[in-house]
Amino acid sequence: MDMNDPLDFELEDDLLKSPAINTKRKKIIGLDDLLKDHYKEQNKLLERRKKQTKANTKAKKRKTSYDDEDSKEAKLTRLVEKCHKQLKAFGEEEDIPPWGVKVFGDKKAFPPVEFPDLTCCNLLNSFLNNKLNSVVELTVDKGDIFLEGLLVNGWLSKLVFVCGHVEKSVAIWAFNTMLYSSKEELFSSSTDFWCAILSSEEEVNQMPVKIDWFPEYADLRRALDIYGFLFKFSSSSEPNSLDSDVEGRPPQNTRAWIRFVTVCCLIRSKKEIFSTVEAEEIVEIIICLFLDRQFLGLLVLLKDCMEAIVNYFTDQEWCSSSENIAKFIACRVSKDLNCIQTIECISEATPRCKQLRSAVAYQTLLSCFDGVNSGEEILRFVTGLHIFCTSPSTNNWFQLSLASCTFPESIHVAKVWNLQTAYK
Amino acid sequence: MVNPSNSERWNRAGIDDNMLAMFDASETKDPHQDALDDRIAFLDVVRASSIGPEYGKPPTSKIFGAVFHMLRTGNSLEIIVGSYKLLVDLDKHFPRVYLSRSSSNSPSKLVAVKEAWSPFIDCLDNGTAEAGDKQSSGPLDPSSFQLLIEDVAEIISGSKLQAANMEPLRNMLLFQYLVIVFEDDFIPRNASSEWNMQRESLLSLLLGSRKINYKSLMKDCLTIICQLSQLLQGEFSKHLELQQSSKSKLSRNCHVALSLSLFGVLKDTCVSMEKLLVMIMNLDMARKKADMEGHTTRADSPRTPLMEIILDELAYNKDSVPLFFKTFSEPKLKLEIVVQYLWKYITKPSVRTRKSSDYIEDATFGGALKCFSNKTGTKSLMKKIGVDVIQFLLAHGFQAQLSILSNGNADANISGDKEGGVGALVDLCQNFISAFNDFRSTDAHMEILSIGKEALFTAATIMAAKS
Repeated sequence: MDMNDPLDFELEDDLLKSPAINTKRKKIIGLDDLLKDHYKEQNKLLERRKKQTKANTKAKKRKTSYDDEDSKEAKLTRLVEKCHKQLKAFGEEEDIPPWGVKVFGDKKAFPPVEFPDLTCCNLLNSFLNNKLNSVVELTVDKGDIFLEGLLVNGWLSKLVFVCGHVEKSVAIWAFNTMLYSSKEELFSSSTDFWCAILSSEEEVNQMPVKIDWFPEYADLRRALDIYGFLFKFSSSSEPNSLDSDVEGRPPQNTRAWIRFVTVCCLIRSKKEIFSTVEAEEIVEIIICLFLDRQFLGLLVLLKDCMEAIVNYFTDQEWCSSSENIAKFIACRVSKDLNCIQTIECISEATPRCKQLRSAVAYQTLLSCFDGVNSGEEILRFVTGLHIFCTSPSTNNWFQLSLASCTFPESIHVAKVWNLQTAYK
Repeated sequence: MVNPSNSERWNRAGIDDNMLAMFDASETKDPHQDALDDRIAFLDVVRASSIGPEYGKPPTSKIFGAVFHMLRTGNSLEIIVGSYKLLVDLDKHFPRVYLSRSSSNSPSKLVAVKEAWSPFIDCLDNGTAEAGDKQSSGPLDPSSFQLLIEDVAEIISGSKLQAANMEPLRNMLLFQYLVIVFEDDFIPRNASSEWNMQRESLLSLLLGSRKINYKSLMKDCLTIICQLSQLLQGEFSKHLELQQSSKSKLSRNCHVALSLSLFGVLKDTCVSMEKLLVMIMNLDMARKKADMEGHTTRADSPRTPLMEIILDELAYNKDSVPLFFKTFSEPKLKLEIVVQYLWKYITKPSVRTRKSSDYIEDATFGGALKCFSNKTGTKSLMKKIGVDVIQFLLAHGFQAQLSILSNGNADANISGDKEGGVGALVDLCQNFISAFNDFRSTDAHMEILSIGKEALFTAATIMAAKS
């Protein structure tokens, strides 16, 4: 252990704690604190001056400067008072609302999870004439219930893996149960089923299981639309003014949706399910889900999905795609804490995610400063305002654009930054 | 580990202080949005400073401890899930135990990073955390692990499971994280096949500790897995959504977020519990092997193998049979449990005639299937364990054997031995169907459960496809 290390913070034993650690660690200085300190100092200074001048008037009459000083003092006092009032008023204003956007509206009617005619399903149909059917008692009208049993108890995936084949009717049925069944066990089993058949890989670049039908992005998009996802949400509307309990509540199947999309992204080498534009839209959707507080508990799922979809793109696609995504997000999300959340929800773990984070931050800044169109201008503008250190989005974009050299201006930016730090 | 240079150390200490300042500030403030923001910022900073392309250094133990503390005491969904995810990611990036290979030919060597932070106390086998630390901060000792399992068992069994507070979610995520820690530690050690390494695993130390009641801990684990299995069958989340926030102090958003995630967390907990049980049984096997090879010492205090405890529990509590097998899917161990269960009750020929002198007990699943051709034997088995349990055992045993064979087939496909694999599959299906028919014919009014029908359907379909 490091000798400089104080004892573990969590050790409550006072005897062992050295007094040095008992003194509270200094909090990182915020802008507010600096301002407060500044005014305190000024007040002190004023007091001192008052005393001084009083003493001066009593002791001696320094005619020349007396009037002058008095008016100056009064002016300064007024100014300080004014500032103080303003500051107070500012502080009393209600807290800045936390981030949070309502990205789900009214649910639409779920389509019924229909089981196709038994005659279309070779798996069940071929069994009807088997002599064992006297025991199993499979009939035409009970096909769906039987298939549910096969799915939930794990037989369906065993059959599929042994036979190496998923027929179309079964694939469609499992896909629809996953997205639209209200039975928890059923949709979660069909998600497992689809994930298993998609990600099965015994041989590189070849599907060991032949799947006769694949969903398209349109199917997934339709499902999200039925769940009530607002493809055209506006984050400036009131986020938390929901009276109804049912309204704007994403169904449990949303979890299945996210898991399924994640697995689809991982198998691009085998089957390309999404086009580039569609994949861009998925990234945008995932970022939007991050903005909805109802998804706080699904952080792990969402982060995994984000990582998978970002890696779905090829290197060539990614250059333009990341910019498209960033532009889309920047113009859709309001310029409050939400736009910071859009940046912070993108992890820094991989170079691609980092680049996306930087791009989103950059585009957000560009749209914050209307009419400004280069990184350098933003920086000049921001340094002019002296709020540089408090703006996470500037920081993010700046650090990251330097690191990844995505933007041609980054060298200029670096120069300006150097000037700025030298000035500090 | 290479000592970092002095300046780097100072630098690191400075960063640590800054990060911990954020953490401290959030501790002292009211449980208000500001404090929450500070804590989230703390998690973000820890993540950014350790996981990322250009860092690659684990946080210090203090930082680790602070994050773990947040997982154990967090009151907001954001904090609990965020700290859980961070801990899992950190463990992935900075393993405490790993196999290293100096060159491609040399055997891999097990490396244990001694100074790495662990959520458990150092002397897990006989140590106790200081009394003051038991509550929430500091690493866990064996008895607090047992307490956690008891809590989870209680949460799942009863009224506490509501989307009204964070406790169920927090305890289940904590449990999941600890299973990951056990796994990352045990799997490379077990792969080394050296008892010295295996016995030093966290899991082995924990189970060997005198601070826990091993048998009751295992029973709680079995209760949890069976009860989760039952919960996950029902319309669980609807139930959650209905009991709306009238009593709960949580905001609407929070309530929705909790009920949206709780089902997934329950399912993951179930998977984690299975992993834990599988690891313990693998440890038991490693121990048995070491015993036979004479590697164990008196210090390796004997423990009842988990397999025996499971068999007892399933025999004693018949309702748990379908629940347990539905969730427990690891094929080899599942098959082993089924086979041992069946063979415990299958009548062995007591008098050996000259004719049957060549009889060799075939204590496999295939052997058990053959026994059903003996009508009196089957009848006595039905009397002993019941018609329903026999159906569950047959169906699940068949499923497990099928998994083993089809996994083997995938290997055989690569090596080219396709014929043998398919033959074995068809034989299995054939034997299963005839055993089931024999079993059925002993009682004309026997009710066939849906799991039995599904198994028959599967066997028949595979036979039709493969022959």
